[in-house]
Amino acid sequence: MDARELSDPILLELVKHALDAIVDEMAIALVRTAYSNNLKNSMDMSCALCDTQGRLIAQGMTLPLHLGSIPDAMHYFLRKFGDSVRPGDVFILNDPYEGGTHLPDFYIVKPVYRGCTLVGWAATVGHQLDVGGMTPGGNGCDATEIFQEGLRIPPLRLYEEGRPVDAVFAFIERNVRVPRQVLGDVRAQLSACSAGEKALLQLIEKYGAERFAACLDALLDQAERLARNAIRAMPDGRYDFEDWIDDDGIDSGEIPIKVTITIVGDRLIADFTGSAPQVKGAINSPMPFTKSAVYACVRHLIGGDPPNNEGYFRPIEVIAPQGTIVNPVMPAAVAARGLTGFRAANAIFGALAKIAPDRVFACEMGGDTGVSFGGYDADRRPFVFLEFLFGSWGGRPTRDGMDAASSSVVNFSNNPIEIVEAEYPLLIERYGYVQDSEGAGEFRGGSALVRQYRFLEAEGTLQVRADRQKHLPYGLQGGRSGTPSTNILNPEGAARQLPSKFRHTVRRDDVFRHALAGAGGWGDPFNRDPELVAFDVAEGKVSIKRARQEYGVVLDPITNSILTEETKKLRQSAHSGRGDKR
Amino acid sequence: MSMAEAGGWRLGVDVGGTFTDLVLLSPDGRATTRKVLSTTANYADAILQGIRELLAGAGIAAGAIAELIHGTTVATNAILERRGARTGLVTTDGFRDLLEIGRIRLSRLYDMDQQRPVPLVRRRWRFEVDERLDHKGNVLRPIDQHSIDRAIDAVRAEDLEALAICLVHAYANPAHERAVAEAIRARLPGLHLTLSSEVLPEIREFERTSTTVTNAYVMPVIDLYLSALETQLDSLGMAAPILIMQSNGGVMSSRRARQRPVQLIESGPAAGVIAAAALARRVGAPNVISVDMGGTTAKASVIEDYEIKRSNEFEIGGPISQGSRLNKGGGYLLRTPAIDIAEVGAGGGSLVTVDDAGALHVGPQSAGAVPGPVCYGLGGTVATLTDANVTLGYLAQDRLPSGLVLSAEKGRQAIAEQIARPLRLSIDEAAHGVYLVGCAGIARAVRAVTVERGRDPRDFTIIAFGGNGPLLAAEMARSLEIGSVLVPLAPGVFSAIGLLEADVEHHLVKTFNRSLDGLVDGDLARELSELAAEARDLMLAEGHTQQLEAASAVDARYAGQSFELTVPVPHLDAPGLAAAIAEDFGREHERTYGHRAPGDPIQIVNLRAVARVPQAAERRAIRPATEPNPNQTQRLAYFGPRLGRLATPVIDRFDLGKEPRSGPLLIEEYDATTLVPPGCVAELDALGNIIIRVEA
Repeated sequence: MDARELSDPILLELVKHALDAIVDEMAIALVRTAYSNNLKNSMDMSCALCDTQGRLIAQGMTLPLHLGSIPDAMHYFLRKFGDSVRPGDVFILNDPYEGGTHLPDFYIVKPVYRGCTLVGWAATVGHQLDVGGMTPGGNGCDATEIFQEGLRIPPLRLYEEGRPVDAVFAFIERNVRVPRQVLGDVRAQLSACSAGEKALLQLIEKYGAERFAACLDALLDQAERLARNAIRAMPDGRYDFEDWIDDDGIDSGEIPIKVTITIVGDRLIADFTGSAPQVKGAINSPMPFTKSAVYACVRHLIGGDPPNNEGYFRPIEVIAPQGTIVNPVMPAAVAARGLTGFRAANAIFGALAKIAPDRVFACEMGGDTGVSFGGYDADRRPFVFLEFLFGSWGGRPTRDGMDAASSSVVNFSNNPIEIVEAEYPLLIERYGYVQDSEGAGEFRGGSALVRQYRFLEAEGTLQVRADRQKHLPYGLQGGRSGTPSTNILNPEGAARQLPSKFRHTVRRDDVFRHALAGAGGWGDPFNRDPELVAFDVAEGKVSIKRARQEYGVVLDPITNSILTEETKKLRQSAHSGRGDKR
Repeated sequence: MSMAEAGGWRLGVDVGGTFTDLVLLSPDGRATTRKVLSTTANYADAILQGIRELLAGAGIAAGAIAELIHGTTVATNAILERRGARTGLVTTDGFRDLLEIGRIRLSRLYDMDQQRPVPLVRRRWRFEVDERLDHKGNVLRPIDQHSIDRAIDAVRAEDLEALAICLVHAYANPAHERAVAEAIRARLPGLHLTLSSEVLPEIREFERTSTTVTNAYVMPVIDLYLSALETQLDSLGMAAPILIMQSNGGVMSSRRARQRPVQLIESGPAAGVIAAAALARRVGAPNVISVDMGGTTAKASVIEDYEIKRSNEFEIGGPISQGSRLNKGGGYLLRTPAIDIAEVGAGGGSLVTVDDAGALHVGPQSAGAVPGPVCYGLGGTVATLTDANVTLGYLAQDRLPSGLVLSAEKGRQAIAEQIARPLRLSIDEAAHGVYLVGCAGIARAVRAVTVERGRDPRDFTIIAFGGNGPLLAAEMARSLEIGSVLVPLAPGVFSAIGLLEADVEHHLVKTFNRSLDGLVDGDLARELSELAAEARDLMLAEGHTQQLEAASAVDARYAGQSFELTVPVPHLDAPGLAAAIAEDFGREHERTYGHRAPGDPIQIVNLRAVARVPQAAERRAIRPATEPNPNQTQRLAYFGPRLGRLATPVIDRFDLGKEPRSGPLLIEEYDATTLVPPGCVAELDALGNIIIRVEA
């Protein structure tokens, strides 16, 4: 197509789609060639393209919480190697104190050259199955300093002019429990980089380097403009919200995450001042991750399908005092920082709900829980199983929260049970909804999910990062909280209740059951359409008793049909007597 | 079938949501076509009407028809409109919610209003039985008869019409599912039953459950539909067997279709690809992309080395365009062989919008047939791609050759007010922009089946059809640097012609799940032969006694990966079978992903077998009868700011000859209009296809 003929909006649309297609191709290459569950099934990874300055110009529709962290990683790569980058180089880092966000996330990036001219970068983030350290799976929350968490990789060359740097591969191989999987997954990230490199070159070839660069500037500007328009439409003011993490699993007690969002014209400032100091447990969230949470949440209020690049970060400022749980300093442990990222997102959405009460959902539930089983089989072959559990959405201003849906700031899949059982010494005995777990509301929150594992090896380590046993997913506009999460060991035997975060030695036939918390409801449950309540009862998601107590809907115990008069009476009497008591 | 080979008349019937296309093929290969409005209350009515007209035109009796081949959207519509049977599900204790939980992935990011489709079986109708197998098929807990009885009581109490049975690890051992089925057949003999171990004996519980449930859900609908059709055809005096197009492009008997209706979900789009593949073979173009653009969507599919590409999984009922192939969960997942077709929401009726940031979008919403584009004057008010095409002078200004009346002025006004003004462009520039974004929509579908699969689109020829394919294909091809576009005869009913090109085919799959390393060649060869024999037996049971073709393949991956590549196994009895598979797999992995992992163990996940009744090699090419379009004229058509408006001859297909003629040219026909843009040249090949050479 001869672009001299094109008016700008059209050329931009074409380049934008082309970039989206490229980062999709990268992600597909990564998923299809990856070895570990967490990458290939859960899709805990992201792929992106950056320009020569390291600006994020496109990210695949993969993981919003990674999106904001890529420019930071690129900053550290460029600071260290800027002048010495050569064709055929590939770089790697995972150190949260030099561009990363926690050790399992490997950032692998490849400069893209057209002849001898650098024209951009293909970038990938993949959550690796293991990085050594004290806890299999690299995601434990019981480390108290970064040095316990495994292999730290500062920005390094992984390939030098097309040749692998053997020393780096050797260090990785010797320091992880399952090198075949980890190196396989590193190869998958390299495949993605190559796919991105090839496609980016074709694209530049087509439009010419100069015009392509101009398009990138325009696309970044377009995203910025959409963000500014959206923010300008929000009423100026300060909106704060506080949510809590139950504890850090070591000694912290409850941990406040506080955010104050200030809208000034077309600028949005998210200030985490007032959040807890950094904690001993490994749930501290490095600054890039905290920033990502802000960007991901705010993006939900920007309409118009903006290009998925960093242009929309520009009107957004994130303030987080150093030494807090949302901007920790050395030697804070950070492996399980995902939890704090999710909680920060909950708090940000809480504040956004004050800005746009007719659009934002009540508190979702998902991402808090990570479960890993690790150990050795009878032949001393290692196994590491890791998965994150989701979740359901909070009630929304116009409809119920979705039951069983990934958190909106990531986009995970669950793991196929039959695959897990075929590959690991585990039996998954239950995966389903918990009755009466939804946060009641005019539009109810999603039901909680329960997953139950039976361990089939002689001995192993079970490590769990969870939360929401005390501080529950909040409701909005009179909607109720969801039910708490639970960890139970051997529910059909001794039924031992475990804390939200623990590491435990398990033996053959030990059974672990985790129930997630239920998501928050939206609006007064007594305003809920009785037909919807009756349907939930018929489906067994809500009990007939709860229908009466929480929703004021009286059902015939045999036919499940609505007893209209009784319901009316109950709702009226409750209306006069209710309020603060409930 | 044998009658057809012996020289009977054959009939292709493609039922779509708006039109029912019929093609009657004479024994000497001459095709006559009819397009009648579909009758959605009872599709058979329109079919009967069309058949009567065709028979009358040809002057033959219904008894002369040797074979009716049918493509249908009935199963698809039953799902989209939620008009399937009252369906229950029997599953393993602890897993009643699997169907609803799905894979939990969001179909769109940053969208707080998104919804997922309601499960086809409501929770109340999902029943757990007490039993458990492990992944090798060993019984961990025997099946409890009381729990089966409880499930049957509930099925009876809820008055269900169909039941899916899907137990955990049933792919490895069907005994428990069969026990449930036996008990149900004894007590509820009229119930439509679907067993996961029969429909999809493949690992991954959600995918298997979803596929099994969908089969059960549409089974009574298809049964009823085919019974009604058969009765009516009987009354017409037609005794020919009915064959149904499957999603994978093969056809199956109507009896089999009633058992496996899930296999005909993509029946409609598949036929177009079959037609393209047959044409590709005829013109000697091994690498082809079929581009089918109608009113609401554009579909692209790849044919490589004359082979159609199939995938083993797709979603139905989700948003047409999810923006990314990675986002799933917007529709009902089906794991059943289907032609790999990428579909984007860009067609002639696609609505055109300008967003806050001044970006232009075409689709995915469509004006459909009602109210239609603004220029149709049927009540449409939002500008569409067709309105842009009329504004540009690409389409006739007052009346299409098919007789449809147009108002170019109305279309032009819509483009002026809704697009040109907010973008501060001239009307022509705006319309041209819409046209190019429409081309980009097709390009996205084409990229999805080429670039994203490691294939360079420049190595392919486009075969363009459907109402709008011929109008946009050449410009789209230019954007991807594809050099050549072919527009076949009768491009508007090309899919119906495809029905007559299809093979009778059965695809079988079986989970194997063993490492290639430890395999004895003989074991693998035996298992593959057994599966192939099973596929052949199916054919024989359906009365196909001719020479059958059989092909075997394996789905393989590096141990640890979750996604397989399908590797053909041409010679089962050759020595060194495992080594040959390892080499072929490594090569395919390298081609697709850019690397191989020598030394890493390879896992054989599934075995596959295909049996097909081959088309008679001497069968003559189908030659659609065409009516010349006498309205030779010319229009001023717009081709961008550099070229502006150019006098563009409007000609008939057969005005083209073997001498290349330079664009701009518009070729108007009953079915569709073909655009040869400036800088391209067109000629007619010996078979009457328009060949457009696209200059970079």
